[in-house]
Amino acid sequence: NSSTSDPLKPFKLKTKQQELLIRVSILCLVYILAFITRLFSVLRYESMIHEFDPYFNYRTTLYLTQHGFYDFWNWFDYESWYPLGRIVGGTLYPGLMVTAALIYRLLHFLRFAVHIREVCVLTAPFFASNTTLVAYFFGKEIWDSGAGLVAAILIAVCPGYISRSVAGSYDNEGVAIFALLFTFYLFVKAVNKGSLAWGLASAFGYFYMVSAWGGYVFIINLIPLYVLVLLITGRYSMRLYVAYNCMYILGMLLAMQIRFVGFQHVQSGEHMAAMGVFFLMQVFYFLDWVKHMLSDTKLFQEFLRITVTCAVAAGGIALGVGMASGYISPWTGRFYSLLDPTYAKDHIPIIASVSEHQPTAWSSFMFDFHILLFLFPAGLYFCFKRLSDATIFIVMYGLTSMYFAGVMVRLILVATPAVCLISAIAVSATVKNLTVLLRSKNKVAQIGSTKGTSSAKASSKASLDQSQPFQKNGAMALLFGAFYLLSRYATHCTWVTSEAYSSPSIVLAARGAHGNRVIFDDYREAYFWLRQNTPPDAKVMSWWDYGYQITAMGNRTVIVDNNTWNNTHIATVGRAMSSYEDEAYEIIRSLDVDYVLVVFGGVTGYSSDDINK
Amino acid sequence: MAPKVDTQSAGAVAAADASSQFSMDPVFHVLKVVPYSFLRPPRLRLKIPSVSLPSAMTVFSLVLLTYFMVVSGFVYDVIVEPPGIGSTQDPATGAVRPVVFLPGRVNGQYIIEGLSSGFMFVLGGIGIVLLDLALDKNRARSVKVSYAIAGISSVVIAYVMTTLFIRIKIPGYLR
Repeated sequence: NSSTSDPLKPFKLKTKQQELLIRVSILCLVYILAFITRLFSVLRYESMIHEFDPYFNYRTTLYLTQHGFYDFWNWFDYESWYPLGRIVGGTLYPGLMVTAALIYRLLHFLRFAVHIREVCVLTAPFFASNTTLVAYFFGKEIWDSGAGLVAAILIAVCPGYISRSVAGSYDNEGVAIFALLFTFYLFVKAVNKGSLAWGLASAFGYFYMVSAWGGYVFIINLIPLYVLVLLITGRYSMRLYVAYNCMYILGMLLAMQIRFVGFQHVQSGEHMAAMGVFFLMQVFYFLDWVKHMLSDTKLFQEFLRITVTCAVAAGGIALGVGMASGYISPWTGRFYSLLDPTYAKDHIPIIASVSEHQPTAWSSFMFDFHILLFLFPAGLYFCFKRLSDATIFIVMYGLTSMYFAGVMVRLILVATPAVCLISAIAVSATVKNLTVLLRSKNKVAQIGSTKGTSSAKASSKASLDQSQPFQKNGAMALLFGAFYLLSRYATHCTWVTSEAYSSPSIVLAARGAHGNRVIFDDYREAYFWLRQNTPPDAKVMSWWDYGYQITAMGNRTVIVDNNTWNNTHIATVGRAMSSYEDEAYEIIRSLDVDYVLVVFGGVTGYSSDDINK
Repeated sequence: MAPKVDTQSAGAVAAADASSQFSMDPVFHVLKVVPYSFLRPPRLRLKIPSVSLPSAMTVFSLVLLTYFMVVSGFVYDVIVEPPGIGSTQDPATGAVRPVVFLPGRVNGQYIIEGLSSGFMFVLGGIGIVLLDLALDKNRARSVKVSYAIAGISSVVIAYVMTTLFIRIKIPGYLR
């Protein structure tokens, strides 16, 4: 109540302003939280790059900042895969390196003289914070701003995302999940608004995703599937037509700029679904136009049947001719094993042997999602209750990504944004129901008295009056229960991040005999020994796990590394490592190797060393 | 060309139902001449079944079933083929005791532990759905109260059981 003599009047905000202040402050806090929860390993050890793959990315980013973009784009690396070499410019996804280099340039322009390694280490947490903002806007688009806020909070701490975006994990996925969610948000916005500008933005978002990660195949198959579902459920509209056409054509043309992708959008079987749906959209538009011109419905039904049959037949024949002539290549093993999980076990042992590619057990789901596993089906229920173009999209994204997450542990990462968004819808809808119950004043009593005073109405009114405080108490208790569950989620996520996902695999820690913590820095000491004590043109043979680290830190030529593009070469190295000494010596001399690196864990009880492999 | 001539000849032959049989479909006209001008089609009382889209809640129940299968690690069971339940030998007596939870790894399970955990997750989800149904205004009060009690108990049981399961599975959980 504002009075004229109120001293605090100039500081009191209107309700709308209060709401905006609360929203902005929540988003700022979530942004900071998403960043700092990923910094455990930087605080415990030091700011260094983790794992194996990020070392290659770091080396290429270093090359990019030192030599400029055109030298990077045309780089032929003679230091790996001796004697074959590797065409780096044409076999990597440049998005991550270019992003880190741009941030580095920006910071130097502002006269912050940071080392490129610091930028690389902190790129993933920075993009995780940006992902929370995109999740807020996406939630706002699908449901309302409350759901957006909850989605931002959930995705900031979700372990499924943290596992691949912790500080030091300088890998494609850190940037790619941001690009994925951003592209999906722009596309849903384009379908909702039907504007060409948002369609163009989604095409550029798709281009960024293609430049960042090989998982862009998920986008180029999910979006046509979504369009197909909309067509089947009778939600064809001009907005959908504009959005999909703009995104597909421009996105395809932009994606061809990445050399690694090349002409796959017209040649590979994995991308044909998008093209088929594109032609189907044109058929739908044509039929709509003919229906608009014709006034005779019976004639139109005939015309419809003939056209659809001809279109499907023509599409089928074209696809058949393309596949038979070999122009359209079939699905590659990596993606085919997602549709048929038993394929990799029988045919491609090197894919089946990676621990990240194993199917998922229930405990991995629980570890990475916790209470989101309860909220996901509830959120699906709410989405099905209020179907719209946007909720159909998020349901499809959630279902397809959960299926793929069940097939391969690594893909829990792709399912995380969908699970967080759908859970946010469940939380937001439930909390809204409960708070409506809490805030309902005794309106029922007033209506009862004005309508009449029959005995039945009076008794029901009395019972409702009696139940009002009971309902309010119940709603308050349920709200506290929801708050308790969410706080347990936050505790679980922080524990998981601290214990399981913050170890740099290059520095190992163990408990010594007296319970003290012992840190092994053996890997880095070995690589530095190589760098200091071997001639600069020495060639080192090791198992392919360590290839990237040897080239990045030891600065020596290796025979095989983690790119695993030449299985015969890897098989030769494996044969050399597992044969008797005389045969192995022959093979090693033929490969022109000077040094052999073997990881042995016998003294410390390290179980994943080369002898066990 | 062929369809036009056929239309005229067919129109001359079957004048009675010419108005209702008029069709733009070329295949129809070819079929009218080639087998069916000398073959008499039998009189059948078949109708093409009408395919309609299922309702949203039907699809939701199918989705819930698929979710249960995915989250209980069905794909893991099919590929890795773990036993239904594990067993250890008691070192003292030599008797064989069953072990429900696969110890030692986060990403491993026996079939029964996967199914029971998946059931708990779905139970929790259904509990929240029941809570929302309980807050719906258009039902009798007793039904609302029973839905609310069922919903709250489902969520509580599911949460307590899943926390218990994960504590058994991962010994150092939250320590």
